[in-house]
Amino acid sequence: MVKLIKLSSIANQDWREVLIEKIEDLDIEDIELDFNDLLLNCDDIKEINSLCCKSRKRIINIKSTVPETIVSAKSLFFKSELYLKSNLKKNIHSGSKRKHNSEEITFHQGTVRSGENIHCQGHLFLLGDVNPGGIVRANGDVMIWGRLLGIAHAGLSGNNTAKISALQLMPVQLRIANKVARGPQQKPEPGLAEQAKITSGLIVISPLTSYK
Amino acid sequence: MAKDTRIILICSGKGGVGKTTLTANLGISLAQQGAKTAVLDADFGLRNLDLLLGLENRIVYTAQEVLEETCRLDQALVRHKQEPNLALLPAGNPRMLEWLKPSDMEKIVEMLSEIFDYVLIDCPAGVEDGFKNAVAASKEAIVVTNPEVSAVRDADRVIGLLNTNSINPVQLVLNRVRPKMMASQEMLSVEDVTDILALPLLGLVLEDEQVIVSTNRGEPLTLNGSKSPAGKCYSNIAKRLQGEEIPLIDPSKEGTSFGDKFKKLMQTKIF
Repeated sequence: MVKLIKLSSIANQDWREVLIEKIEDLDIEDIELDFNDLLLNCDDIKEINSLCCKSRKRIINIKSTVPETIVSAKSLFFKSELYLKSNLKKNIHSGSKRKHNSEEITFHQGTVRSGENIHCQGHLFLLGDVNPGGIVRANGDVMIWGRLLGIAHAGLSGNNTAKISALQLMPVQLRIANKVARGPQQKPEPGLAEQAKITSGLIVISPLTSYK
Repeated sequence: MAKDTRIILICSGKGGVGKTTLTANLGISLAQQGAKTAVLDADFGLRNLDLLLGLENRIVYTAQEVLEETCRLDQALVRHKQEPNLALLPAGNPRMLEWLKPSDMEKIVEMLSEIFDYVLIDCPAGVEDGFKNAVAASKEAIVVTNPEVSAVRDADRVIGLLNTNSINPVQLVLNRVRPKMMASQEMLSVEDVTDILALPLLGLVLEDEQVIVSTNRGEPLTLNGSKSPAGKCYSNIAKRLQGEEIPLIDPSKEGTSFGDKFKKLMQTKIF
């Protein structure tokens, strides 16, 4: 049997307290976590996992409406699923100072092959790979739950804070706003999600551990 | 009468990777296994499937004349001498490039599918009109590629186009595999290719000098039950198409001498 535990940012409480309270007196070992609209990074999820381990609970599945949370969970090899928000107005995060844009997220499932082109207005969340020769472009962030081997352009309309994240970042080229960078020559570590963003005028790739 | 004819497009995007050679050998193999097979040369601008099958001097009519009703279909079909189950239909005359439309192609294939169990369409290189014509009439596809970056890139593009034309299933044949170069990582490995293309692998074909000899002679390798490495690969692919389960060859175990095995052992990571 699996017990579903729901957490969210609405109550404006610290999620750690809520979680500990909820799992403390539970006699079921397997739990499923619903993070709803919480924005959690890899460190947060590691912490949650250790909290669960302490009280002898095992995380079977993670659910969330926030793509970043899912990417973090996925990169730590948790089974996870993304679902759509039922109410967009409650879209405020207490765990993070960064407010999530209420811009639309476009979901695309399937590999973007050579010569194919995806363009969207808001954020782009892609479930699949971008093969060499394929191009994905978005006005907001580009999040790829798969490998980026082609070209990605985030912040098309000049948004310097846009980010590109992928489970494996090996692009031909990265473009953020009006900056262009060539992809890294060496292969990244497998199982390590990475993100690219503009830091002091340059596109920099770093491991995907925190969203700031 | 609707027959369960399998209409298979053989395409690659890039030229020179072995579409026509695969079509010819697959045609012969399928015919040998008792399936009535037609090979349709859709590459009518630069046709050479007839050369590979050694049937060049027997072509009188083409599909063009059949559609114009100046001849019957069975007059245009060229039966293979040694393999009566196999027939070739050239799509058109190289001098008249403009006539063929996707609807014409569909008509020809429909006529063929009333007689044959398999229709193999040899697709021209590229993704322009010739490709579009060939795709219009097909139901499933085999994508041929070489373990080279450029061939894989073009194959990827073609697979995208096949998907948008709802061709299903699409399978992959990796041609001109050199086990030694794969072992020493000088060539893209089988995994590298399947990783990017994400298609089920129908077969590997080993690099083989005999292919050149057989092409020049007009006798496909599979014709005389050749024991050459590539010939065996081709007939295995035909068997897999028919639904037989035959394990794929392992390039790392193929044709390796003791020296190579030792070298490979030295490269194996123990830790």
